Amino acid sequence: MTWTDEELVAKSIRGDADSFNELVLRWERPIYALAYRTIGREEDARDVCQETFLRAFRALPGFRGQAKFSSWLYRIALNLCRDWIRRERRTPVVQPPEDVDLLELAAAAEPSESIEDLVARQDLSRLVERAMALLPEEQRTAIVLKEYHGLTFQEIADLVGCPLSTVKTRLYQGLTVLRRELAKNPRTKGTML
Amino acid sequence: MTDTLCGYANRDETIVGFLYDELDADQRRDFNAHLLTCTVCRDEVAGLRAVRTQLARWEPPALTSLRSPVPGASRPGWWQTVPAWAQVAAALLFLGVSAGIANLDVRYDQNGLSVTTGWNKAQPASPKLGTLQTSEGGPRLVTSPSDGGTKLVTDPSAAAAWRADLAALERQLRTELRAVQASSPAAQAVRAASSSDAETLRRVRVLLDESEKRQQRELALRIAEVVRDVDTQRKADLRNIDHTLGLVRNDLGVEVMKQRQSLNLLYRASQRQ
Repeated sequence: MTWTDEELVAKSIRGDADSFNELVLRWERPIYALAYRTIGREEDARDVCQETFLRAFRALPGFRGQAKFSSWLYRIALNLCRDWIRRERRTPVVQPPEDVDLLELAAAAEPSESIEDLVARQDLSRLVERAMALLPEEQRTAIVLKEYHGLTFQEIADLVGCPLSTVKTRLYQGLTVLRRELAKNPRTKGTML
Repeated sequence: MTDTLCGYANRDETIVGFLYDELDADQRRDFNAHLLTCTVCRDEVAGLRAVRTQLARWEPPALTSLRSPVPGASRPGWWQTVPAWAQVAAALLFLGVSAGIANLDVRYDQNGLSVTTGWNKAQPASPKLGTLQTSEGGPRLVTSPSDGGTKLVTDPSAAAAWRADLAALERQLRTELRAVQASSPAAQAVRAASSSDAETLRRVRVLLDESEKRQQRELALRIAEVVRDVDTQRKADLRNIDHTLGLVRNDLGVEVMKQRQSLNLLYRASQRQ
């Protein structure tokens, strides 16, 4: 039987640790992806992810269900990312690994994908990553939440605590900067109009 | 952005809403109509859509599952992964060690059956304090106040009767042992051990196969990477060579032109003379 997030939360509050672990398994990947795309460092993103679930577990008795569990988790993760950025006092720098993680690549590769395609895909991913790293934190967060997590404008506004119009403006400005940056690169220039 | 030539109301927000399909029906219809006439907005929407396509290519590194951050969550006990034969061996070892620590001493002599524990060897003495007589003439558990050990002592006069009882008990035990031998824990342990060994072998083979495949993939990818690097270097070198050749050609051209000009001058001078 598949439990909903809310049911698992209720069971966790009653002391069922396995239910909380089920929530962790369900949400660790999205939270890690959010952290990685926000701060751009693999190890730190993993730490943020772990800390997010620890804080959520501790704060679970106070969770009243006024928001979706996922929104609540996103808020915790975003706050931790902001703390990280302030603590580091620097713009997050995306740090692609020195060498391509081949095992990871191989695991992620489609069966029909050639090695050349694989390397090209990884290169493009890095290009986007670098372009995203140029954006101010607010714009990057808005784009990450919208583009990779499918939140509505209103949900993003609630999460980051700003007006709806500000979210739209940040998205527009961020996308425009990305368009300009990606158009500079020969590999993506052809696709940019 | 304000550097556009289009004055559509709330243009930036509308474009974003249009891109992410978050306009209401009226707004969408109006903006669609606007796009038919405004090339600036049409180009921008197309450009931003292309950005979204590129964004889809960004993949974070894979995440190995977090370890459970919740204390007390049930996990399979480590003993559940230990083979049955090892558990039996561990139990026997534990009993042996326990007996050693307790200095268990079992004797059967002219004084009858005697089981003693404790490290301080007490002299065979008649029981004093702490004697527990289980039945008249039968064995007694004796706790020695001097060394804290416990002794099971039998009376010599009742030894013969006890020997007969013990022989009967032994016979009964042997019969029962034979009956349960087929399903004894030891037999089960042996069976479990053999099946466990087969399972272990199977796992090892799977691991080896996976490792081999990984290594092959890694090698292929490394080679691809090297080829790509070499190719990039080759292209860079070719560019440099082209550039250098171009410079040489330019220099030659300039030189040839100067020569021609000098010759022309000489020719004109000679014509005048």
